Amino acid sequence: MSAAESWKRLILDAPEQYARVVRERDERLGAFLEFDPARRTVAPATGGSLAGLPLAVKDNIAVRGFRLTCGSRILGDHVAPYDATVVARLVDAGMIPVGKTNLDEFGMGSSTDNSALATTSNPWDLSRVAGGSSGGSAVAVAGGMVPVALGSDTGGSVRQPAAFCGVYGLKPTYGRLSRYGLVAYASSLETIGIIAADTGLIAEVLRAAEGVDLHDQTSVGLPAARVAEEERPLRRVAFLSCDADLDEPTRAGYSRMREAVRAAKVEATEIDLATAEVAVSAYYTIAAAEASANLARFNGIRYGERPIYAENPEELVRTARSEGFGEEVLLRILLGTYVLRSGFQEQYYQRAQKIRTAIRNELQSIFDGHDLLVLPVFPVAAFPHGEGGLSPFQQKLADRFTTLANLAAVPALSIPAGVHGGLPVGIQVMGPAFSEGRLLRFADQVRSGIPVEAPPDFSPDAAALALAVPGRDEGGA
Amino acid sequence: MHRDELRITAELALVELDASRLAAFEQSVGELLAHFAVMSTCDVTNLPATTHALAEENRLRADEARPDPELADGILEQAPDLEDRFISIPNVL
Repeated sequence: MSAAESWKRLILDAPEQYARVVRERDERLGAFLEFDPARRTVAPATGGSLAGLPLAVKDNIAVRGFRLTCGSRILGDHVAPYDATVVARLVDAGMIPVGKTNLDEFGMGSSTDNSALATTSNPWDLSRVAGGSSGGSAVAVAGGMVPVALGSDTGGSVRQPAAFCGVYGLKPTYGRLSRYGLVAYASSLETIGIIAADTGLIAEVLRAAEGVDLHDQTSVGLPAARVAEEERPLRRVAFLSCDADLDEPTRAGYSRMREAVRAAKVEATEIDLATAEVAVSAYYTIAAAEASANLARFNGIRYGERPIYAENPEELVRTARSEGFGEEVLLRILLGTYVLRSGFQEQYYQRAQKIRTAIRNELQSIFDGHDLLVLPVFPVAAFPHGEGGLSPFQQKLADRFTTLANLAAVPALSIPAGVHGGLPVGIQVMGPAFSEGRLLRFADQVRSGIPVEAPPDFSPDAAALALAVPGRDEGGA
Repeated sequence: MHRDELRITAELALVELDASRLAAFEQSVGELLAHFAVMSTCDVTNLPATTHALAEENRLRADEARPDPELADGILEQAPDLEDRFISIPNVL
């Protein structure tokens, strides 16, 4: 029985067994804010390859009948009255949304520790963070609780937790997946992304979910001309020279990726990227500016928690916001409001938008001479919870490798690059717009050199465990 | 960042900050703004601003209603208080 078939049999024939295995695991991991496979289970009408597969969804993406908290107190018990377009399309393909996963509040953070609602831990080492902001989604997959999960990636939020947990994480081209039903944080940068332990599954989910959506004016279809171009073999990739910036496990993973590329007989060159130095500043300027506008809607009147008493409407709004938002969200709202103030706009926001152009141009010149750019996801492997980890400021500086793809609107895939010192490391590969197929093909080519490993304490996955069939890496590997 | 600038910014952002939060944000917002100074080293002469990295033209659609009665009912079901198909809002004045 294939892995997909065992997941289908589990959720349709033994739902109680499935729920029990997941609840047991999640007591230690904290991936889910809400888990109820029965709520949306229907016998799938289609017989497609995704039909009957459980799907976990980050809790800033709407799934009808489930809460939509964004990991924030300000949304309280808000329940989504509709499905995000991506979710609706996957449900049409027969997938079953089973629950909502934890995240850094409104997607702001790199650890999932900024959630106001729950703590999520890394299945490879429970004392360490899952990464973020889509930490719950990455843990749901790596912890063997679902085969695939949706996250959102504004500056690395799908790729970084996927890297920390040892699974694949795809941030598609901006617009390829509709953002309708994704709670807006930084609209010009973010995309819904896909996390799985299997590249074939990511490709299938992308195919079922992608395309123009009347509800999202920025959604785009795959240009027909690109299909053929994506079929041609990979000839030449560029590696970013940055080894000195990396911790020991990440450097080991990066070396391993170079070896795997060599073994796959793809030519590799080392390059520098001048704009990488300013990417984090440009990214945080733009993201905070957009956040300050997008989060203005959370005022205690339209949604969620409202103070019991206020003298006047303005006091009500101020109190709701100051009590409802966590510190990281307030920081970004304040920063964004500041960079948009008259007198400061030119120095910060407008300059950041021009730097965004410079980053696009430099990446394009790399893609003119190379099929793909290979670079780390994050300079360090999963760090400890709390004081022993990275400060919020250090976490932001560490986004320097991931934010490039969001600023340039191009796709990027985090690929597991082995386990080093007990922790998984992810290396990302970035390509021009609409090159998702190429990225996944690259991942398949290097996999023989770097097989995907599952965390020992959470292997095999729930389907294999409950049905006592071989797991994804058992038997053959 | 000057404390008064932060106070004005908080006022604009509709956020209430007590003294200890003001001090904390003065430090954390200031730290980021100081880091942003690196942007002044980047030559942006003659570069246009990117507001949308892929769009080449504005995309418009016909201004037509697209009724979705199921969604409307779903929203009404969640309202704390209803009068027929109207949401009753609390008196805040």
